[in-house]
Amino acid sequence: MSTETTAEERQPLLSVRDLVQEFVVREGGGARGGVVQAVSGVSFDIMPGETLGIVGETGSGKSTLARAILQSPRPKSGTVSFRGSELTRLRGRRLLAARQHMQFVFQDPFGSLDPKWKARSIIEEPLIAYSAGDRQARRKRVDELLDLVGLDPARYAKRHPRELSGGQAQRIAIARAVALNPDLLICDEAVSSLDVLIQAQVLNLFEKLRRELGLSYLFIAHDLALVKQVSDRVGVMYLGRFCEVGPGESVYKQPLHPYTRALLDSIPSTEPGAGRATTTLRGEPPSPVNPPSGCRFRTRCPRAADRCADEVPEPRELFPGHLVACHFPLTVAAEPAKVSAPTQTTARAQG
Amino acid sequence: MSEALLQVEDLRVAFAAGGREIRAVDGVSYRVEARQTLAIIGESGSGKTVGCRAIMGLLPATATIGGSARLNGSELIGLSDAQLRKYRGSVMAMVFQDPARSLNPTMRVGSQITEAIRTHRKISRSEAHTEAVELLRLVRIPAPERRYHEYPHQLSGGMRQRVMIAIALACRPKLLIADEATTALDVTTQAQIMELMLELQAELGMSLVFISHDLGLAASYADQVVVMYAGKIVEQAPAKKLFGAGGTVRMRYTRALLDAIPHIEREAHTELPVVAGRPPDPTAMPPGCSFAPRCVHAQDDCTAKAPALAEHSPGHSWACWHPCENGVAR
Amino acid sequence: MAAPFPETTLASPVPPPLPSLLNGRRLRAQRLGRALRLWVPAGVLILLLAVCFLLPLVVTLPSPTNGNIIVNNEPPFSPGHWLGTNVQGVDIFSQLVYGGQVAIEISLSVTILGMAIGGTLGIVAAYFGGWVDAVISRLLDILLAFPVLVLALVIAEGLGPSERNVIAALSAFSIPAFGRVARGATLTIRGLPYMTAARLSGTRAWRIIARHILPNIMPGIVTFSLLGIGVTIILEGALDFLGYGIPAPEASWGSMIASGQQVLTAQPEYVLIPSIVLLITVVALNTLGDALRERWGVQ
Repeated sequence: MSTETTAEERQPLLSVRDLVQEFVVREGGGARGGVVQAVSGVSFDIMPGETLGIVGETGSGKSTLARAILQSPRPKSGTVSFRGSELTRLRGRRLLAARQHMQFVFQDPFGSLDPKWKARSIIEEPLIAYSAGDRQARRKRVDELLDLVGLDPARYAKRHPRELSGGQAQRIAIARAVALNPDLLICDEAVSSLDVLIQAQVLNLFEKLRRELGLSYLFIAHDLALVKQVSDRVGVMYLGRFCEVGPGESVYKQPLHPYTRALLDSIPSTEPGAGRATTTLRGEPPSPVNPPSGCRFRTRCPRAADRCADEVPEPRELFPGHLVACHFPLTVAAEPAKVSAPTQTTARAQG
Repeated sequence: MSEALLQVEDLRVAFAAGGREIRAVDGVSYRVEARQTLAIIGESGSGKTVGCRAIMGLLPATATIGGSARLNGSELIGLSDAQLRKYRGSVMAMVFQDPARSLNPTMRVGSQITEAIRTHRKISRSEAHTEAVELLRLVRIPAPERRYHEYPHQLSGGMRQRVMIAIALACRPKLLIADEATTALDVTTQAQIMELMLELQAELGMSLVFISHDLGLAASYADQVVVMYAGKIVEQAPAKKLFGAGGTVRMRYTRALLDAIPHIEREAHTELPVVAGRPPDPTAMPPGCSFAPRCVHAQDDCTAKAPALAEHSPGHSWACWHPCENGVAR
Repeated sequence: MAAPFPETTLASPVPPPLPSLLNGRRLRAQRLGRALRLWVPAGVLILLLAVCFLLPLVVTLPSPTNGNIIVNNEPPFSPGHWLGTNVQGVDIFSQLVYGGQVAIEISLSVTILGMAIGGTLGIVAAYFGGWVDAVISRLLDILLAFPVLVLALVIAEGLGPSERNVIAALSAFSIPAFGRVARGATLTIRGLPYMTAARLSGTRAWRIIARHILPNIMPGIVTFSLLGIGVTIILEGALDFLGYGIPAPEASWGSMIASGQQVLTAQPEYVLIPSIVLLITVVALNTLGDALRERWGVQ
């Protein structure tokens, strides 16, 4: 789903088109099982300075999408254009050079740090790999980075990961990620394994870096409230495809896809007067090896009709910048003969 | 006042590690009435899990347990493992976080349920089989006869958790403890499982205690809420008093938790009110209030003496010298 | 109602001390056991090294190869012969010392060759995968398929028995063994996030292998090598026993056992003494290996 609005002529920082990624599932003895269709035709743009949040549950393919963008492993098909370079066609040193400005923060703060290395060496590693200055310059930069992420270099530079807490370890990982002044930071569930209070600290750090360094983010999480809070635009993924993409406020106040609605309903809220979190979804998530035909959400959708099995819904822009891939989005009645043309009139609050 | 189903008084659990004492649970008291839902909320290291495992007798031998926990009047602390086994599964049962590791991957799902049934009741194998299928139906697993013969890896996370619940309910316990039972699940599956547990609670007349780090779950599903920090209860109140309209949160830590949770209603890119620092080292607890080092409102009396948990308002207890004033729970 | 703690009021929550010191005592006993299992075998091995290599520099020992038939069958603690002499009058203690030298030299050489060649091959195979892995694994499998002793026999027959040939033959076993271990250990960590992070940071393959993989698999390799040294000593002893290892009259533990075998019923000590030394050495190596594995948390 591209959002190349004609109003702005800016070039997107990252432009993904029709990305497809699959895995072969091996049976116990090594024989070929099925093929997991992890990402099945995903397209989107990220503008400079923008944060795009992607929310999806288990099996949605969001982490696979992130790795496919990084070319690690390479996607089966599709294009990834970053700062004008087509990453799918680059190899070796050229790929490394192009990827310098795109960095990654992992979910497990300890898993992403070599347990035998000191914090200083961990942060220095990308500087060495890209030959960014001599030893003195690098050391200075490492201290700067530690300050930037809120860790006192005197106390933390020489520590090993086992001497750090989860929040501190994640800060080291973030310092490493911004060492080379990237343009885009891909965060894959970067705060999901942290305690609530520590999570807030790290989220504020992301905000600070966004302001001070002008970073763009691709922020992936399974928590819709979290994603909406840090993002300008939010994309909802289900079983390898986007259901809905749009500005955070718009998606939250005006969910167009039944899955988005279901996600919103199941969030338990501490707001006074918020109803109990409920679920309108039926059944279990289908297997990504054998996804349903047509719209993949139809097996659990309370609004599914025959058309949903026959035709894959294409994304359509129903409101400015807000797209949905559904034959019966929540602006229209449940069983229409045909879908009315997209209008700008105020839609009903609930589908 | 009628005797509660579960009455915990001054529960203490300590471990010896590296020659030092770790006070994981430091004087915790609460009650669970029949058919009531209690939420125990806390972050890691708060002692929420250790406390319930102490009651169930699931702690290693290196743990020292003191205080009292009475289930239907019978004291549980101090019983041997053999004696506790009579209660476990029959009167009280526990569901854990990671169904992938709690279920035996080499046994069929149905066998694991029948095993739980036949541990406590002397019925024939075929009768147990029928009961197991009924239990699978009870936890809303479709096609239960077929699922009976499947292995855990053939089921999704949500289904496996339903199987865990079925095993826990095998002997119709009066108390079900769910220890982070939905933490590893997707949010839509979490809603399904929580709804299921509440329905079962009503159907079977059980009490439910669920342990979590998610205050939202407490607000949505609990009758009574207990918030723990560093081994102690810091706030205790009915959920309506904390989260309902006009609800107030008093203890600074609870307020910090609420403020730090991402709220979908918030505007994007707002800076979260942040609490610096980390939970205290359990081997070196700070003097006075254990939250004081991180609290922006801490004053001298906070570090001098630890505030006691006391019922300052009907039904609502907190442990804070300078609680929030008329704060709306937001 | 059990209430082992004294009554406490809410106003002064002073926690009572742990009621039982049993936990502390048990912990101290555990720690002592762990330390003993590490330092006792280490001490034994250091002692062995000192006796075999340092002692001859300080004390002039009788010849381990030539004996004076006149003083044969001397019992232990005879003057000039600390453990006595054997059938041919050769000093037993000297044989142990010089045989120990040989055993240690051979086992260390074999192990180092195995670590260097096999370890490198294993890491490269696991890291690069694909056809590199396939080729290297097949090579290692072929080497591993050779029965070690038979190979040693063949080499000894063809090229004549010597220390160098023994090392070559035993390396045909240690190289693939280390290769397997290194490959397995590398595969275990290859998918970990910090490896991906290193690649995404732009670090090149060789640097990743040297600075990330090696330090993290070293504990496993080292503990394996200690067991490997023990196995090698036994294999070398077997070769000497069969006569295909170190040629007579050079001293070696295996040949001591072989020659003592002939008078086993009459003078069992000629077999027992080298056997016991061999046993102690190998047990020390194994125990040290286990203790290190425990300390370093290797699976």
